[in-house]
Amino acid sequence: MATSTELAASRRPLIDGKPSGSLSVCVRVAEPEASQLLSHLFVRYPSKEWATFLRLGWRATSDSLLLTIAEIDGPLDGDLNSAVSHVAIDEKYSLRAALRAESHSLAVGIAHSHPENCKPLASRIDDEMDSYYSAYFGQFAPHRPYVSLIASRIDGRLRLTGRVFWEASWHHVSHFVVQTDAHGIIVERPADAPVGAWRERSARLRSAFGDEAERRLRSATVGVLGAGGTGSAAIEVLARAGVGRLIVVDPDHLDESNLERVHGSVPADAREQTPKALLAKRHIEAIDPECRVQAITGALPQVDVVNALTQADVAIGCTDQQHGRVALSDMAVRYLLPAIDCGVGLEGKSGVVRGQIVQLVRFHPADACVLCRDMLNPQQLARELMSDEERHARRTAAQAARSRGENANPYWQDIPQLNTVGYLTTVAGALAAAYVIGWLTGRFDAPFSRLQLNLVAREFDVTNNEQQARKACVCRRVRGWADQAIADAMISAPRHWPSPTSYSTN
Amino acid sequence: MSRERIERELEVLRAGGQKVDYLVGARDAIVYHRLPTDGAALGLPRETDVVVPVPSGYPAAMIDLAGLPVGSPLLCRVRGGTNSQGLIELDGRQWQLASYHPHNGGGGPPWDQTRHGFHTYIDHLIAWLHRLN
Repeated sequence: MATSTELAASRRPLIDGKPSGSLSVCVRVAEPEASQLLSHLFVRYPSKEWATFLRLGWRATSDSLLLTIAEIDGPLDGDLNSAVSHVAIDEKYSLRAALRAESHSLAVGIAHSHPENCKPLASRIDDEMDSYYSAYFGQFAPHRPYVSLIASRIDGRLRLTGRVFWEASWHHVSHFVVQTDAHGIIVERPADAPVGAWRERSARLRSAFGDEAERRLRSATVGVLGAGGTGSAAIEVLARAGVGRLIVVDPDHLDESNLERVHGSVPADAREQTPKALLAKRHIEAIDPECRVQAITGALPQVDVVNALTQADVAIGCTDQQHGRVALSDMAVRYLLPAIDCGVGLEGKSGVVRGQIVQLVRFHPADACVLCRDMLNPQQLARELMSDEERHARRTAAQAARSRGENANPYWQDIPQLNTVGYLTTVAGALAAAYVIGWLTGRFDAPFSRLQLNLVAREFDVTNNEQQARKACVCRRVRGWADQAIADAMISAPRHWPSPTSYSTN
Repeated sequence: MSRERIERELEVLRAGGQKVDYLVGARDAIVYHRLPTDGAALGLPRETDVVVPVPSGYPAAMIDLAGLPVGSPLLCRVRGGTNSQGLIELDGRQWQLASYHPHNGGGGPPWDQTRHGFHTYIDHLIAWLHRLN
């Protein structure tokens, strides 16, 4: 069986005599496009190849390129020559893909399969095809990436390679993230992280889920949005499970009232106002010195935070702020970042605690988005996003309205903070981390769309609210469109927010 | 950024012949030019420019408020006009914001970012300018 490292090492030089670039290139695909793509590619398996054109969104930074498969333009009868075992594309299929590209803003690509147990490495014929198509589509869709992917199954395992022609250079695809219903989230990187000294510590996890699960966790990057009570619990579980890289985002510093909930915090952190993200980094490194950590004091959807989280294979939302949920849902839809959001609430009356609520919401790219689920309170959302000056002005206007005997709600509504305690946030964060481990290992899925349970109700009073997406919602139109649907972003970063600061290990 | 979305919404208005500008300042805002009023019978201007601030985090946060040029005789006749929500200066002009909240209990539908925007807010502004005291 070829390992990812072997595949990377045996790659032939890039083609055309054109320069090869050093961008970190990631390709993402999620359901339902993932199943569509694989069913096209393997329709003549195991011995014969097949192909399909693709449309992809993208996000380019100075050192990375993210490509997200937004549409599969599968072949019609006669588009590919079924009389031969290799891929032979009829001119009309190419022309149709090219003409379509004139009416959309997405990148164009092609994916084809190699026979079973044949490594997905580009052949001379593949070189000629990519040389031709990069120039051909460049005429119809200039200034967009041209993407070429190869898939095969080796010993039953999906293997992918790819290359991209972008800004006059060829770049290898360094990283794939494939979210499937059947196999969880498959992450493929050229060089899998070594498990090394970790093996003894992870013996129980391996005996439960297998060696492959351990490798997949070690190769994975998880983004955690919010490093308070729920976030710090999720981080603790993920770090101990052996996740190879964690990206932790939180805009706040620790204060005295957080000590009851935040794992890894000590009183000195409150005195010194340690940023929560930095505190999480310290705690992760204490648990697993080999785990690579990027801690960011900032918030979605600030540009630097989006850039960082697009490197994650999956994300957990652990913020009690509504704008964080909107931004996470937007990332799931446009950048195909699978996510799970968690929250808690404590309800009581007359000294009796009647509700200890944990909520988990799954944000797979094809799931109903936060807008479809009606999870938002517009007044609270607007209030969160205001500057301090605007909040002050609104409160003043509300006071004036009350003194005139008028309704003060249009100016300002006091929304009480949800009560919570450390054991509740720990349960929520640990549960969210558990489902992320299930996705990454492919061993189990979250059996819900939006789950609520009450720790003090009979049989936990579990509800699973399977909400359908609204047909007219933006999330149905721009899945996988990345920056090409920037005008459809659900939220923008307020200008008054401080710029993010990032702290990384190596 | 929201700039792309707002420009798309403004293009809808421009395509219909409405002059609108996106002004960048301490607080970004949209200026709708020469909107019709119901002021003729009251001896007031028949049209006026209106400013609407771009909310922080737009489109997650709802569009709210409306402003008229400082000193406009319409200010004391529009709903919420005597209840100033502050002054803003844009492009050398001063504007006074009125207490007008169509999406926040002020008579319009609840904010829905998938349907509403600066291209639909114009309907509320015209209604506002046609219900003078």
